[in-house]
Formats: sequence, structure tokens, C-alpha cells
Amino acid sequence: MSWISVEKAEKLKQKFENLTIEENNGYLTVETPKENLINLLKTLKEDPEYQFKMFIDFTIIDHDTKSNPRFQGVYILYSPQYKERIIIKTWAINEELPTLTTLWTGAKWAEREAYDMFGIKFEGHENLVRMFMWENYPYYPLRKDFPLKGYEEVELPSLNEEERGDQLEGLFNYSRMHTAIPTLQDLEITQKARMPKKSSQIVLNWGPLHPGTHGTIWFLFDLDGEYVQKCDIIIGQLHRGVEKIAENIGYQQFIPYTDRMDYIASINENHAYVIAAEKLMDIHDKIPEKAKWIRTLMAELSRINSHLLWLGTYALDLGALTMFLYTFREREKIMDIFEGITGARFTINYFRIGGVFADLPYGALDAIESFIKELPKRVDDYERLLTRNRIWVSRNKDICVITEEDVYDYGLTGAVARASGVPYDLRKIDPYDMYTEVDFDIPVGDKGDSYDRYLVRMEEIRQSSKIVHQCIEKLRKFSKNDPYFFQSEDPKKLKISIDGRGMKLPQGEVYASTDNPRGELGFYIFNKKAGIKPYRVRIRSGAFYNLQIFTKAIIGRPIADAITLLSTLDPVVGETDR
Amino acid sequence: MGIKKVGTKSQTIIEKIFFLDFMKGLSTTIKHLFKRTITVTFPYEILEPTIRFRGVHGLRNVDGTEADDFMSWIKKLKIKPPEKGETRCIACKFCQAACPVPELFTIKAEKLNVPEDHPHHGLKILAVFDMDLSKCMFCGLCTQACPTDCIIHTDIYDLSSYTRRNWVLNKEMLSQIADDFIARRGKEKFDEKSKWREDQTVWPLHEEDLKIRAKLWDGNIPQLGPNYYDQSDKTTN
Repeated sequence: MSWISVEKAEKLKQKFENLTIEENNGYLTVETPKENLINLLKTLKEDPEYQFKMFIDFTIIDHDTKSNPRFQGVYILYSPQYKERIIIKTWAINEELPTLTTLWTGAKWAEREAYDMFGIKFEGHENLVRMFMWENYPYYPLRKDFPLKGYEEVELPSLNEEERGDQLEGLFNYSRMHTAIPTLQDLEITQKARMPKKSSQIVLNWGPLHPGTHGTIWFLFDLDGEYVQKCDIIIGQLHRGVEKIAENIGYQQFIPYTDRMDYIASINENHAYVIAAEKLMDIHDKIPEKAKWIRTLMAELSRINSHLLWLGTYALDLGALTMFLYTFREREKIMDIFEGITGARFTINYFRIGGVFADLPYGALDAIESFIKELPKRVDDYERLLTRNRIWVSRNKDICVITEEDVYDYGLTGAVARASGVPYDLRKIDPYDMYTEVDFDIPVGDKGDSYDRYLVRMEEIRQSSKIVHQCIEKLRKFSKNDPYFFQSEDPKKLKISIDGRGMKLPQGEVYASTDNPRGELGFYIFNKKAGIKPYRVRIRSGAFYNLQIFTKAIIGRPIADAITLLSTLDPVVGETDR
Repeated sequence: MGIKKVGTKSQTIIEKIFFLDFMKGLSTTIKHLFKRTITVTFPYEILEPTIRFRGVHGLRNVDGTEADDFMSWIKKLKIKPPEKGETRCIACKFCQAACPVPELFTIKAEKLNVPEDHPHHGLKILAVFDMDLSKCMFCGLCTQACPTDCIIHTDIYDLSSYTRRNWVLNKEMLSQIADDFIARRGKEKFDEKSKWREDQTVWPLHEEDLKIRAKLWDGNIPQLGPNYYDQSDKTTN
């Protein structure tokens, strides 16, 4: 278990007063008064006994309007030295909290998000503006008193209504009223707020709808000639309030929504959520082995799928069109296999809390095996095209270096962290499903430039195919009658169903994360009391934190490197915006 | 913990002078030049979706392949016992309860208007079953919740239309879609008790379809065999 032990946490009590330490089946939370917070965090970060150097996540829990104080801040930290995590909680009295940016720069965006969604002020934050919404937006959407549907206050007739007048009946009688949408003036104000002091005459806008941005991201570059002096990113064009939806829907019903976060690797998104819920129910160890092997196999296939798409579009952005055609050929085969096994090519929704919804169809393992046998040869082909190509090397080597310090400071995870020499891989640190049983290496770079990030991901494809091989071998030994879904011993106490009706999760809290192709994807589920809906779900998105380093790594680089950097960071907007 | 350092040596002078890096890259592209095309030329060639494909929904009718507990569900919900060709839907709304977007369903049952001495007095019948597919995520949870295996996914994927009105399917249309699908591929997907067949294949094994799919798999489509040690071999392959 990768959580700090109670004894070690108890030692903190000698230095700080009024600490409450709570153990919740393995997950340790320390509650502290607001005044001590910064000192406590500083001790945790710098004391050689603790060394919680890495910032994982920060979020807010809204304890409803009746509770006073109403908001609670939750900090999740990781210690690379001792390989353990800790959760710190504190109450935001008067809806204010001290800023963390003095300790970890990476908290900047997390705090902006908390301000955007909950209206919490942070004392000392350098530029506390909204994260996803535009500047004039009057509400705080994740507060409990904000309705799920929002406030409908703008009239926006649909095209059908324009054409047919009042002829629309029944299901088509949509309300003409719509929730608030930003006007052009709002966007202008937002843009100015994000970059209050510009040094040059021109601020270059890149996006939100540019093919090189892989989605709807809006970049602002303050340029000196061709060199970037300052950079900020406006995201949120794809913000759908997934966390709000999660609070208003059953547990299995939320899985299709996770598909739509990181749509490139939807299986891995399902995986993270499913594991968090299983750990909250305390049944993760009791899931049938066959289901676990199938999940490991599918997750790795999905990782290969995601990396192939990354490689194709990355090379395409840097001008190597052929690569795109080659990787999409391989990708099509994976999609074909996914369609056969799960019924969908893209938004898969195959995993369930308790296993998977159906067994593998006849011939699935043969299809995967024949694909995975071919794959290493294909990866060699790709490498022959790119790795030693002098144009490729000069566009990637020593470009936008991310140091080890940055990794801890910004909470970078996934291939980005590994390329900078930090072997942070949750499949090894906090193994879930069958990753304890498979043998694979963590690829690690040493410099942290774009070239390293490229090499690390290429190696990850190879390692993933190694894992898939082992999964197939293991799965062959199972019987066709072995269960693929968890059977509760006492259905009255613990009901768990494939369709999710009548499923209740116990009271408690959990933070569980998996290694997504884009970094650590964590789900923090907080349940005040047992129920069919979670009280608060926080999604710690790897892509969101990885994207934050963009604003630092691009400084002093020419504008052409923006493409390289963005491609090697590989964010997916569905996940950054949620 | 296995850690593998990545990295390459920098280019040698010979490599630089003779452009060996470009030569190697070109050899790969030239090799691919002589490979067969993998593009499936839709719509001239149409690849049949796999049997588990989650396409447009359908409502199955009674056709003698109901599960054993079908009649007990009918009794429990006081539905008029359906005859052959009538819908299996018992208006239990389980699909709506399992749906991530519940408002896409409009399900209503109404009491039969018959005199008191009629055997169907006091029983209900499905009156409205509308699905607004513009809101649907095609996640498949409704089909897993259905106790009578009534609502199913078919393999229809082209559902574009000029108005949003056409995305709302009523119960007659849904029944028609299901009937059509069952006639085409019902035997491939469901067994005699309307459950998923155990020997569903990862892709259809018809001659014609395999020929198209082989293109996509670079000309050598894998031979399918059993997954598990005690699974029987499918002779049709």
C-alpha cells in the first residue's frame, strides 16, 4: 500500500497542535487548522523524514449550505523518497485559504480551478482568475446549491424552431432558454485577464480551433521577435462539468461519462474510476482473476492505441505525414478488436465496478495475439523512419527541457515525468489489477527534452506489448465458465450489478489512481453517507497538470517549438477540461 | 523494479556524409510502396459490424424464445399477456433507471379499456415508448438492465437525419428495427432463451465479410480459435 503509516503521521503531532489523524481502510488523512497549514505542508515537503516533494492534487469539498464552515480543502501529496501518499484536509474559513504556490508552483492551476468552481479565494495567489469559465460568469458551478441544469437565462432558439415556428411538439418542444454563454466582449475580457501585463506589441493567439492544438485549447503568446516571453493557456471550451454529473448519477451510470473525458484512451479512464469505486467498497482484491486479467489486457491495448495516435499526429505536426498513415493502419486493427469485444470502437464502456460486462468473444485472444506479434516489427519501422532522422533529431533534441525539479513542482506524471528521469509509474508503485504479476520495465529518459519524451513513449509501446503477451498466456489457462463479474456473498448487504441499478457504495473516502497514457488519472471519491450517488467526485487529470508545464517550458523558445512541446506533452482536451 | 534507460547515440560522420538516416527511412517507405492497399472503399464495400456492435436500439417482439421467467414478469407487472408478434416490453422502466441520461426515454403504460367480465380487465398495456436517440450515448446499460431481453442493440449505425424529430423513435419503429435485425442476425447473437450466445465471434465469419476485413488486416486475417482451454472449436471457421 502506498500510503503513509499511522505511526509516522502521529509523529507530526509533536510539532503541530490540533491535528486529527484518521485512518480509512488504508487511506490516511490529516486534518489541520488553517493557520498551521502552510507550516505543516512546508515541514512535510522539506523534513528529510517525510519528503512529500511531489504535488499530486488539490480540491475542495462543499459540505452543503447548512454546514459552517462550508468548504474543506483537500491536498494530496506524494513522497518519491518513501513512495507513499498523504491527504491533508483543512477548513476554508470565510471561504479563504492560503495559497500553495509558494511551495509548489503546480498548485496555481488547481487553485484557479477551485476559485472557478467553488469561489474560494486564495491569499497571495499571483493572478487568481477563472480556469474554465469566462471572466464575467457569475456563478460557481460545483457548489451544491448550483442546480444540475444551471440557470437558464439566455434565449437561444434552435434552427428547427426558426424554420417551423411553434410546430414542434412533444420531445421537440425544447425550451428556448439556455444557460449563459460567453459573448465576444466576455472573451476579450477573459483574454486580457489571463495576460494582464504584456511586454510586446503583439500577443499571438493560437487556437482555440487550430488543428495543431489537438482539440480546443487557446494559447496566448507574448512574443519578442520569434521568442516566447510569456505564455498562458485558456482552456475550458470543452468543459462539461463531469464532476457535477458524477454527483448526480449512479455509480455504474457514470462510467460512460468517463469514456468521454479522455476519448483517445477511454478504457484507461474507465479503469481508473472502476478501481477507485472498488477500493471504496473494499472489494478490489475479491474481483475474479479472469476479469482482472481481461482488464489489464484491455488497458494495455488501449495504451498502445493511444500512443499510436500520439505518434501519428505528433509526426504529422512536425511534417512527417507518412507516419500518420502507418500508425493509423495499426490503430484500425486495435479498434476492430475493440469493436468485436465490447461493441464500440471509441467510447467503450466495457469495464464495470466488479469486473467486465461480458466475457471475451470467440477468437478474441487469437486476434489480439496476431496483432501483437506484428507490432514490434512495425514499431521498428517507425523508429527507422524517425529516430535517427536528422530533421527529426534537430527538431526534438534539447527542445523544451523539463527538469526533475519541475516534475515534483508541477505534479507531472506519466511519460512526461519518466522522460525527465523520474520513474513514477503507478503500475509499479501502487499496483492495481494484475500488474503485480506481469513483468515489464519502466522506460526512463535522462534529459527531459522532447526527444526523450518521444523515446520513452516508443519504449512504452514495446513494454505494453510485452504485458499483453503475458496477459494472453495467462488468460488461455482459464476456463470458459470462470466468472468475469464479482458475485456478492450476501446480496442484501452488498448489492452489485452490471447495469448498476440498486447499487450502493458505503460511506468513506478514497483516492485511487491508475497510470493513464497521459499521466496519473486519479479519482477522489468522498461519501458522506452510504448511498446510490457519490457526494463528491474529484478527477485528478494527468493531462491537466502536464499541460501546465507548457507555460514554463516554452519560455525563451521560438514559436515553432510550441508544436513540438504540445505534441510531446500529449494532452487531450476532454480530460483537461472535464 | 525494472528501469530501462532510453537514449540513442548521436550520428556518426559516415552516417552524416552518406545520408544513411534518410536512406534507411526511404527503404521503409519504398517497402510499403509495394504493399497492398488497406483502405475499405466504403460505400462500395461495406464491412458488417461485429455482432456485439452497439447501434440503434430495437424492441423485440414475442417470438417463442423468451427467457423462462418471462411470464412471471408479466404477472408481476399486471401486463396483458402478449401474443406472438406483440412487444415484449412490460413497461418496468428498468432501462430508464439504468440509463445515464434518463430523460431520453418516455415510457407509459395504460389500463386496457375492457368490460369487467373480460379476462384482461385491470391489466395494462404499453402505450408509449419513445427514445430520443440524439441524447443517447450507446453505452448499452439499458440492454443489460432489461429483464425480458426486449430492448436490444442492432447493428445499424447510420442514423443521420435532417431534423432532430427523426431521432425520436416510437415503439412501432423500434419493433420494426428489432424484427429486421433478428431476421438478419438474430441467430448469430442470441440463443434460444434470448441471452447472448456463448460462441459469439470477435468478428463475423461470413466469406464475403472476411474478404473485406482481410484488406484491413494487411491481407492476412488471423484464424480464430478458442480463447480458453475448455472452449470448443467453432467448425464454421
